[in-house]
Amino acid sequence: MINIENITQMTKFEIDDQPHIILNSELCRTCDHHACVNTCPAGCYTLSAATERLDVVYETCLECGTCLVICDKGSVSWGYPRGGYGVNYRLT
Amino acid sequence: MAKSFDVIIVGAGPAGSMAALKLARAGLEVALLERGTRPGAKNIFGGLLHNTPALNEIFPSLWEKAPLERHVHRKTLALMTPEASVAMSFETGSFEKAPYNGYTVMRPIFDNWLAEEAVREGATLLASCTAEDLIRENGRISGVTVKGRAGELRGNIVIAADGVLSFMAEKAGLRGEIKPGHMGLGVKLLLGLPREVINERFGLVRDEGADYSLLGITRGLRGGGFLYTNSESLSLGLVVHLDSLKASGQKPYDLLNQACQHPQLQKLLKGAVPLEYSAHLVPEGGLRGMPRLYTDGMMVVGDAAGLCYTNGFNLEGMNLALTSGALAAECALEAIKAKDYSARSLSRYQKRLGASFVIKDMRAFKKAVDMMHMERLYAAYPELVCGLLERIYRAEGKPRDRLLKLLRKEAAGRVKLRELLADAIRIGRAWL
Repeated sequence: MINIENITQMTKFEIDDQPHIILNSELCRTCDHHACVNTCPAGCYTLSAATERLDVVYETCLECGTCLVICDKGSVSWGYPRGGYGVNYRLT
Repeated sequence: MAKSFDVIIVGAGPAGSMAALKLARAGLEVALLERGTRPGAKNIFGGLLHNTPALNEIFPSLWEKAPLERHVHRKTLALMTPEASVAMSFETGSFEKAPYNGYTVMRPIFDNWLAEEAVREGATLLASCTAEDLIRENGRISGVTVKGRAGELRGNIVIAADGVLSFMAEKAGLRGEIKPGHMGLGVKLLLGLPREVINERFGLVRDEGADYSLLGITRGLRGGGFLYTNSESLSLGLVVHLDSLKASGQKPYDLLNQACQHPQLQKLLKGAVPLEYSAHLVPEGGLRGMPRLYTDGMMVVGDAAGLCYTNGFNLEGMNLALTSGALAAECALEAIKAKDYSARSLSRYQKRLGASFVIKDMRAFKKAVDMMHMERLYAAYPELVCGLLERIYRAEGKPRDRLLKLLRKEAAGRVKLRELLADAIRIGRAWL
């Protein structure tokens, strides 16, 4: 079973201090589906119920690019992390 | 400061390392860039390394040299409902003889091995290097810059082997925006289980392996599941179309967790320990999802070129990537000999690829992409088949109906005759 809250117990990450995902909150506010929240396989995106603000945690990103492809507002600036950083699969 | 090479290859996956190996062996100066700490660190697949002549040519007895897990000698296709499943298994002794038909591998291990073989031939592996942008000179691509590092890498030819999202192909103007309808999202859980338990549970001897394709395991989403036996672990995963996932509002890891709970899969997974969770996009657009393959100074190979296909039975990608890498290397070699790096010179790569099984197979099964968009394939039909078999087998001491009547009862409310015929035609177009 996958407990996405504890993803770091299963999958290894070399965390960069520079984020590789940056959102444009203005554009996110105009979005009516926030498909990034459900489709991200690492659960990196959260939508605050109280403030309706979309947040992303880049540290546990699996670098699949789903958010980049699924976002139709052009809000996701997404590039691969600098060399050596990010997800670091051992076996898979 | 600029370093100069004959060829710069972005991405040390199967396509990139294969190209690097061939070019280095021919005596060229090759830079092989890898953004992970080592090749394979970013790579996962839900598949097999199928028998690949381009690889056998370099490693005549691959199975003795390469870090392979098991050779697959039994293929199973299962249609599933939440409670039931019906499976067709094919097993043959001829898949147990070398050269084997397909292997399970661990990508961080296999990809690293292949890149190291390229290094042994003289390629320069630059790990922990993310290519950031292309360098152009006189309208021709002539190198790359590296993220977070000063300086440039110059080369007469750049081979973009940077995977499914290929930012290099995008920057070269060879592809537009990626459409969700052309992508599958793969999520995978690697589960540890002792070798002897796997062998006993799956009926395998020594390094024999089993492969399961699962239809109906995605809660109605367009997609499927896979289960592979590795030496001491199982790979369980799902691939779902991104547009279908978006429309469903479901979370990919929830779908995978539910798959683990399927009563028949539970028995196969019992006692297995989660080792690693991973995710990756899969090019599923077929020919329509492919970018242009070359421009002045650059060629695109592997996933970056959208080389991946399924027709329901065959799921191929890694063998296509390896073959495309080998063909791009052959073309690069000729271009460098002739000192002609123009698009016209590199167009030979596309010709070669077109003449190979890679594009021929993708073309032969191009209509399979439409078949895979049949929603009924993912819930209605598995339910229909399982329901029909249950009606056939169930004994209640009552007179049995004949099969057509059973089929009608089972189909009622699920699928109309008209829809059944339309789908049969679509399947026929895809396969026949």
